[in-house]
Amino acid sequence: MKISTRGRYGLRLLVDIAEQATEAPIALSAIAKRQNLSEKYLQQVALLLARGGVLTSVKGSGGGYSLAKRPEEILMYNVLDLLEGNIAFEEEPPANETAVQQVIRHHFYRAVDRNVRTAFGELNLADVMKADWFSYEI
Amino acid sequence: MKLSTKGRYSLETMVYLATSKDLVSIRTISEATGISGGYLEQLMIPLRQAGLVVSQRGVQGGYAIARKKITCHDVLLASEGEFTPTPCKDCTQTTICKTYQIWALLENAVIDYSKNVYIEDLAGHLLEGQKGGGM
Repeated sequence: MKISTRGRYGLRLLVDIAEQATEAPIALSAIAKRQNLSEKYLQQVALLLARGGVLTSVKGSGGGYSLAKRPEEILMYNVLDLLEGNIAFEEEPPANETAVQQVIRHHFYRAVDRNVRTAFGELNLADVMKADWFSYEI
Repeated sequence: MKLSTKGRYSLETMVYLATSKDLVSIRTISEATGISGGYLEQLMIPLRQAGLVVSQRGVQGGYAIARKKITCHDVLLASEGEFTPTPCKDCTQTTICKTYQIWALLENAVIDYSKNVYIEDLAGHLLEGQKGGGM
């Protein structure tokens, strides 16, 4: 089980934008500089977050990206799911699913997914921005 | 975050092995799981090294689950390696990094749960299903 580079960069991009605490769009070049990440790569990730309704893109000079919603409304579970392209272990069963696969899907993958959802709960971007967020009660 | 095919197949192999007290041949495992014999041999190497399966060569040979109380986490650890969040390159700030902590929350939720699911319990569900004739 591995977290993708896209996931890690996407989260840093999002937290960076939230840290600027402004509604003005943030240029990707500035984020690239602060985070020491490639601007080209950030463009792809920003596009993904914009398509998913997390960021809003503003074109033109002075353009960039800003949060599409208030940080309280951006659920971290949804962000990870978007960045990783589905974080659930349970997959659509194949037509010829074996009995063993079905048991593992019902009694392990589905249960793990439920546990992950519970762990994240309503954890949102505003919680994460608090200095002591990881003492967050789950 | 994706569970690799290797991890999924290893779980399937272990659950199937746990339904039998006797040695099971690669061919029989292959028929039940749909995993090719060659791939099964590959999957068995880390599982054997981790002490999760025992094997015996020869005509009557095959594989068996090594012990009771093997968890899904044991199997995934053997087949996929440690699953800890990957820090960004050269990062020394993982304890204060907000994004790292989010990944840690995700991975811990998976790991903690995996440590509480026993292969033999999954095998129990499998046998139950077969008894009922539903599967």
